[in-house]
Amino acid sequence: LCDPLLSCSGGAGALARWVLVELQGEVEPRQGRELAGSLLGDLHYTCEGVPVLIVGHHILYGKVVQLEKPFAVLVKQGGAPQPSPGGPHGHYTVTALIKTKLLFKTRPKPIITHVPKKV
Amino acid sequence: AAMSGRSRAEVQATLQTAKLDPAELLPAVHCLSFGPQAGAGECCLLQLEPGLCAELEAGRSLVIRGEKDEQAVLCSKDKTYEMKIADTSNMLLFIPGCKTPEELNTDPTPCNVIHSQIAGFSNNYWELRRCRPKLKKLRKLLMEDPYEGPDRHKDQTTTFSRYTTEDLLSLIQASEDEILHQLQVIDACKIEEYWRILQFDYEMKLLNHVTQLIDSESWSLSKVPLRTCLEELGSLEPREMIEHILLSYGRKYVDDGGEVYFEMHEDKICRAIAQMLLQNAVKFNLSEFQEVWQQSVPEGMTTRLDQLKGLALVDRSSRPETIFLLKVEDLPEDTQERFNSLFGIREKWTEVDITPYIQDLCAEKQTVGALLTKYARCSMLNGVKVYNSRRPIS
Repeated sequence: LCDPLLSCSGGAGALARWVLVELQGEVEPRQGRELAGSLLGDLHYTCEGVPVLIVGHHILYGKVVQLEKPFAVLVKQGGAPQPSPGGPHGHYTVTALIKTKLLFKTRPKPIITHVPKKV
Repeated sequence: AAMSGRSRAEVQATLQTAKLDPAELLPAVHCLSFGPQAGAGECCLLQLEPGLCAELEAGRSLVIRGEKDEQAVLCSKDKTYEMKIADTSNMLLFIPGCKTPEELNTDPTPCNVIHSQIAGFSNNYWELRRCRPKLKKLRKLLMEDPYEGPDRHKDQTTTFSRYTTEDLLSLIQASEDEILHQLQVIDACKIEEYWRILQFDYEMKLLNHVTQLIDSESWSLSKVPLRTCLEELGSLEPREMIEHILLSYGRKYVDDGGEVYFEMHEDKICRAIAQMLLQNAVKFNLSEFQEVWQQSVPEGMTTRLDQLKGLALVDRSSRPETIFLLKVEDLPEDTQERFNSLFGIREKWTEVDITPYIQDLCAEKQTVGALLTKYARCSMLNGVKVYNSRRPIS
């Protein structure tokens, strides 16, 4: 007999609201550093509500998108193998809902100077 | 590691280097860093079809069902969805506690540095597509140990291949509502917490008790009293079984006096008796069958071939014309496999003949015509439109 593979966290209003940030390309840590704990960048918004992300030496301009189809974030309980083509196996919990994404599609504008101002 | 986070001064310095004017920006800034489990791949995204988000927010559950050899499906309380991975060329980062501009504008403490940890990232997500519930397995499980009546010793032995509602929920790739509805459709009953299907012979035995009683009491077929049935038949069979057979083959109602009656389903009774006759041979001479069949049904009932849709098939090309048992529930569940099977049985089908055998394959809002267009090829035979396979039959 097979246990149900997904259980939802209980109670109305118990689900957190997260945000999705969509970037072009891949996320790679700076050489020699672990991903966990490392900085991605600073996220600002203009007064008009345009998101601006400063990542390394790049400035990315994006837009706030209300998702037509929201996402549920599933968190695996107790580390297990990756989802197989047949479908996710193992226990998952719905942890959060995502209704908004910050989409950064524009080509990054490089910051010309490489020298950060010392404080 | 920079877990303690960047300071306001560092943020301002970066803005300056980037030549961005703080006056054009909202005062708050999110400093994004990767959380401790971000790279572990423990989080994944599930894209929600309309209605599912509201269900989750209302505190209802979604369940993923499927054994290792099955394609996983996602079930809400009343619907079933296929799951498929969708790849994106972009990177999706999921961030708790990240505020949108609207949320910041209503924030009472506007000027702050918000340290947000990225919980995970992915370049794919699960997509859902509403599908037919996979219910063929339900009948298969219940047929492992059909109920043959209380006298049989078999029933006192192991409950190994018997299933409770919970068992079925964990084994069948369908939503709870769809499973419960199907149990009703197939006339399953609960005996001591287990769902059971009656063995056909026992079912006919029960039905026969009832129809003979109707006959001997000269009751109207639309007003069969429960109380009297239980009184007269209670010594022959368990009361639950008498009531079950009445519920299976009739519509229950209560009259003004509070008495329970059943309006018997003539079509269903005739159909069951046809099955009983047809299962004894490979095929029958049609006219002989029709005669025997009419004689076998209760007084006052009229047999018609259209009562046998999805149960039997008439061969009008043979001389003499014949009829044989072909039950739709014995055919494959997968659409392509079903069509292959049907075209293996008969090369060319009229729409009228094939419809009962493909009706259940239609998705929400899909017509039989649309299915035929997709899975069959149309041609004319003696002035009649017929359908045959799109592919050569092996």
